[in-house]
Amino acid sequence: MRTATVPREAGTAPASRRRPPLRPARVVLHVFLAAVAIGWLFPILWAVLTSLRSYEYTATNGYVSLGGWTLDNYVTAWRTAEFGKHFLNSVYITVPAVLLTLFLASCVAFVIARFSWKTNIVLLGLFTAANLLPQQALLIPLFRLFTRVPLPAFMSDSEVLYDSYWGLILVNVAFQCGFCVFVLSNYMKALPRDLYEAAMVDGASVWRQYWQVTLPLCRPALAALATLEVTWIYNEFFWATVLMRTGDKFPVTSSLNNLRGEFFTDNNLVSAGSVLVAVPTLVIFFLLQRQFVRGLTLGASKG
Amino acid sequence: MSRPRTRAEYLARLVPPSVAGLNRRSLLAGAAGTTALLGTGLLAGCGSDSGGSDAKTVSLGSNQSDPKPKEVVAKVVDGFQTSSGLQVAVNTVDHNTFQENINNYLQGRPDDVFMWFAGYRMRFFAARGLAGDLSDVWGRLSGMSDAFRKASTGDDGKQYFVPSSYYPWAVFYRKSVWQQNGYQEPKTLDDLTALAGEMKKDGLTPIAFADKDGWPAMGTFDILNLRINGYQFHIDLMAGKESWTSDKVKKVFDTWRGLLPLHQPDSLGRTWQEAAQSLQQKKSGMYLLGLFVGQQFDGDDLADLDFFTFPEIDPAIGAKALDAPIDGYMMARKPKQEANARKLLEYVGSKAAADITVKNDPSTLVANGEADTSGYSALQRKAAEVVGSATEIAQFLDRDTRPDFASTVIIPALQQFIKDPKDIDGLTSSIENQKKSIFTD
Repeated sequence: MRTATVPREAGTAPASRRRPPLRPARVVLHVFLAAVAIGWLFPILWAVLTSLRSYEYTATNGYVSLGGWTLDNYVTAWRTAEFGKHFLNSVYITVPAVLLTLFLASCVAFVIARFSWKTNIVLLGLFTAANLLPQQALLIPLFRLFTRVPLPAFMSDSEVLYDSYWGLILVNVAFQCGFCVFVLSNYMKALPRDLYEAAMVDGASVWRQYWQVTLPLCRPALAALATLEVTWIYNEFFWATVLMRTGDKFPVTSSLNNLRGEFFTDNNLVSAGSVLVAVPTLVIFFLLQRQFVRGLTLGASKG
Repeated sequence: MSRPRTRAEYLARLVPPSVAGLNRRSLLAGAAGTTALLGTGLLAGCGSDSGGSDAKTVSLGSNQSDPKPKEVVAKVVDGFQTSSGLQVAVNTVDHNTFQENINNYLQGRPDDVFMWFAGYRMRFFAARGLAGDLSDVWGRLSGMSDAFRKASTGDDGKQYFVPSSYYPWAVFYRKSVWQQNGYQEPKTLDDLTALAGEMKKDGLTPIAFADKDGWPAMGTFDILNLRINGYQFHIDLMAGKESWTSDKVKKVFDTWRGLLPLHQPDSLGRTWQEAAQSLQQKKSGMYLLGLFVGQQFDGDDLADLDFFTFPEIDPAIGAKALDAPIDGYMMARKPKQEANARKLLEYVGSKAAADITVKNDPSTLVANGEADTSGYSALQRKAAEVVGSATEIAQFLDRDTRPDFASTVIIPALQQFIKDPKDIDGLTSSIENQKKSIFTD
């Protein structure tokens, strides 16, 4: 932005070559940006603040006050909601789901990007369109289906897809594939064609072209998608609530409800629980921030 | 799907009309499709297999997720395990999720025995064939009053429910405040108004009130309706059989309008906890709420808490009916271990289970009349007496009617009334119109 404005202003105000004058538009922009930033951060900071205070104090003094500092909420939240167990459940669901999504999506994307079949566009359209479908609309058919698809007892004690980790993994894979196929196929299309011609000349099979040529080159895209998918699947709340019926099998997002009472909800405790549940996503975000941003723009422009 | 924030929202999800109708459709589809073959064939096979192998177990779906009640359930289950030699697998799901998911839960693979509520909520699922007939269990239960049997009976006259605990709605107050000011428990509506006038003079808010969550105001409507029009009218009105535009309903709103200035103002922005705290902090004189109001009081404050039932309005009706929601147990329609499930249900309704509950939970009342209630606090004992002497027990507005009607029509209507109590005619005709679109079957 600065490079664009400097030449235009050079004639009128040479002194401001380094620093453009403080124009009203700029002030407005900064005020706006600050307001938006605060608007986004406020709920999180408020939750953190609330989680660090005792209920007794906020009940008598109101939430717009300071004091009653304590860490007890975190201890209680961890214990009453049994987060240890439920975090593990989330891992059981998230890890296989992400791996499977990436594998299947890269297979489809490879075919769409590398072979010019007539069905390619239709296939891509199908996968992308499925993204637009509201998941809630599929609840009842899926629920019926899941209660009728049997599983052997060693896979799930419920003996059907309903109320099993397999079912949740399947649902997440199905709903996340569309986006991943879209992103990966665009990325793969940008890979130089010569590579494949060379590979073919060297006698590489289709599988080898996929596994040993394409996938290594897609590593940045896969990393970006993996980051995004981990957060999305980990954060998934809806399916984990409706397709599970055993409290002990709930992932951590659904188990957050354990902190709400029948008649009485301690908001400070719920805040502490929410902060705990949000920590993994925050850690992933800060560690892999670069991938995140890249992931969001991947496939935005066709190479 | 956004996370529900209020009790009203959970209720709204309880029975979406689309689901109620879907049962029939999917059955038809199933009969035509191969899914039915697959489903029934294989599942029937599985069912009989596991039935043979672990006949020593029974599963229990529990919505008692609060720490204290959860502990009590665990103790009752222990008691059953020792006395029967059976193993109980308890599946605890948090109270609100359990309630939101009840439709899925019952149509999917419910536990053999599950916890639920008496009243319309029970009859609704019983009528749809989603609950097991417990008439034989009732034949073996002792110590249950007729009022409880009535509350456990479905539309077809069979019992589908075993009550375990309940709590009454009444007007709570602090003994110390009342003694200090020389207040007397009011016997009639005029007494109440006079008393409230005195409280105002003494600088107290006469009646604490909160309706941020939508449901507390139902308690006020219920009790006025019960006092003015009686129990049967309440039941019929809730079942959609009586008209909301009738003079009887208008009289309820009219009486309420007269009492509103005595209530804490700006109630729509207040939770019941905050209203209860105003009572606890001696800023308010009295508060109409369930016995759970005691959760906001500790130690000495709790001992200072007392209550009276809402005073008489019409001498012909009296003041004997009240809201006392009952919680209890039901059986799935096709439990895996039916015989064991019946044994468990018989146990949870028994004196032994009630004794364990009394010993461990000071905030509830047990349904079984033979239970040893010497462990009750003075407040509990009085509550039990009041409910015991009640001629009729209503379950509370949202438990006595269709959940979608209670949450999508009544809650906004009552909040509208509190905001602007002038237009009763417009309000009641709006409720009546919406009622017609909901009570269609």
